[in-house]
Amino acid sequence: MIMNPSPALSQDPFPQTPAPLEEACAPTPRDVAAAVAFALSRRRADDTRPVLVTAPRAWFVEYGRPYGPGMAGVPLILASAASLAEALWVMEQGLRSGAVALGLGAVEGATLAQTRRLDFAAKQGEAVGLILSRGLDGLSAARRRWRISTQASAVDPEDDRAPGRARLLAELTRGRGERPGAWMLEQDDETHRLRLADRLADFGSPSIAGTGAPSGLAA
Amino acid sequence: MIHALNPAARAAGLRRGQTQADARAMVPHLIGQAADPAADARALTALAQWAERWSPSVSVDPSEEGLEGLFLDVTGAAHLFGGEAALAEQIRQRLAEAGIKARVAVAPTPGAAWALARWGEDEAGAAPIATQDDARDRLAPLPVEALRIADRTLAQARRFGLKRIGDLYPMPRAGLARRFRNDGGVDLVRRLDQALGHVGEALVPVRPPPRYRSWETWMEPVADLEGVETRLSGLAADLAAPLERDGQGARALTLTGFRSDGRTTSLSVRMGRPGRDASVWLRLFREAGLGKLELGFGLDALMLTADVVEPMAARQAALEREAEAKQAESLTALIDRLTARLGEARMLAPEALDSWLPERAERLRPALGRRIEAAPCEAVRRPILLLDPPEPIRDPLFDLPDGAPARFTWRRASRRVVRSEGPERVAPEWWRTARARTRDYYCLEDAEGGRYWVFREGLYGREYAGGPDERPPSWWMHGVLA
Repeated sequence: MIMNPSPALSQDPFPQTPAPLEEACAPTPRDVAAAVAFALSRRRADDTRPVLVTAPRAWFVEYGRPYGPGMAGVPLILASAASLAEALWVMEQGLRSGAVALGLGAVEGATLAQTRRLDFAAKQGEAVGLILSRGLDGLSAARRRWRISTQASAVDPEDDRAPGRARLLAELTRGRGERPGAWMLEQDDETHRLRLADRLADFGSPSIAGTGAPSGLAA
Repeated sequence: MIHALNPAARAAGLRRGQTQADARAMVPHLIGQAADPAADARALTALAQWAERWSPSVSVDPSEEGLEGLFLDVTGAAHLFGGEAALAEQIRQRLAEAGIKARVAVAPTPGAAWALARWGEDEAGAAPIATQDDARDRLAPLPVEALRIADRTLAQARRFGLKRIGDLYPMPRAGLARRFRNDGGVDLVRRLDQALGHVGEALVPVRPPPRYRSWETWMEPVADLEGVETRLSGLAADLAAPLERDGQGARALTLTGFRSDGRTTSLSVRMGRPGRDASVWLRLFREAGLGKLELGFGLDALMLTADVVEPMAARQAALEREAEAKQAESLTALIDRLTARLGEARMLAPEALDSWLPERAERLRPALGRRIEAAPCEAVRRPILLLDPPEPIRDPLFDLPDGAPARFTWRRASRRVVRSEGPERVAPEWWRTARARTRDYYCLEDAEGGRYWVFREGLYGREYAGGPDERPPSWWMHGVLA
């Protein structure tokens, strides 16, 4: 049982400030929940505007529907789109309106021109657009392209048999003017937002090592 | 049985209510067609909506079959069409173009109009127009059946020698009412009074006439969407003006197109809050898809009605709340637009409900007109993505039968559990289904870092003792945690 081989964790500061349009790829189905959590934490922390989630109807059946009680304090609007064109239209309208904080869209196969429109709309509406995809092939106007993979949770010192704080590895595969890198993020139990995991906290922890810790963990 | 007949058949002496055998005995070459009263009623109602182009209040005449018709309340509307005669002529012509032969009459009361339309046509074939002053005289020569009375009363009246409506004028009312059996006389007097306008008659329009509407008719049918859109902007501006004057805003609008073939086509939009901005309406209609209108060979009239109207609350937001109010407004406008295009079933927002069952604690409802709020925070772990309905888990393996599984199969992949937390017990809502059982929820983490929210339905021991007719407890995947 080996987890996704992951690159060494980056020493650079995590790019916390969101770009107008970013893309997060969940390579396997089990990474989708982590990618959604990552997307939600790309909002500015003090932004109270709702989150608009756009996906084909089949997506909500396949991966589950975003569930309010599991995301703490996120006002949600869900749109099930019948086609790629409709999904992009909904995202663009939402981002441009200035009424939503985050436009999260599970869209596959958008063209460069279409993603440019989203980028522009997000800038106009002071919102964050986030494309959730299965793979990072194809051109995109997204300023940052991430690969998100779920990781073994942090060890709870009081109960090492229970899952601790949820962890995920965010790999920046392309950034405009930024060096690619990988960061280990973990979910804050209180706010449900992601923060940079303390790299030393689990140093040498047998349970992590036993499940195959990412190679960069001890860096 | 004869339901309706044409002038030739009437001239041959046939009448409604005769059996087909009797009729054929009198006229051997009679051509009959099966009656379909339900289809007739539907067609008449559709025609009534089409007739709203001339009047906002159109009712279907509840007369017996074979004598049906439409009542249009054209009070104060005739001048828009160049007078009553011109209006009657236009109605007849339009209906003829749509393939419907119609007899039209204009009179001060529904009763008089009914009589004149059916019996009052003069030799020249022009539509009879009765005014307040000459209605009495114009009704006098018409046969008594023009008063919409029951067949039995009619037969009795004939026996008394009362053939024309004018014959009734000199009769004392009380005597007349008493003369007939089974209250027939009372009915006769009432119908006479209604025709002459001595007593009122209430008509029930097919659709309640909207308080706010704007419409436009033109000579050449418009068969392209661009033309419709151009005219819609004019209509929207016309409709917004009276709303503005009355301090009202529309929550729902319907655009009705009147086709030259006697059908109507319509498109509705709804809004989360009342508004009267014509440009917003245009946008909503465009997003709802003007292309859904079936133009056929073209529209020759277009009507825009405000179906739901609410007062616009005067907005006097304090300065610091202004930004908030503005944001709420732009959110409502966004949801209105997205809903217009996707439909209410595909634009949803969660609604928190008071239930212990996770799938009932938050229900998805149409986002239109709803306050978009964050779900209340839970102290316990909840999945970020909820599978609704839950999916079965196969082949769970346990260290302890009433504990968390050590291995399980979901969606055909076998997963090894490395860490688990639970149970969190959710009691059944026994008042909903008698067979509901307790759920024990667990958070499981597998060797690949996937975190799952699963439950066992049913307790060993208390709810399952191993009997042959009992359902053993089962495992379900209910969601995925971040």
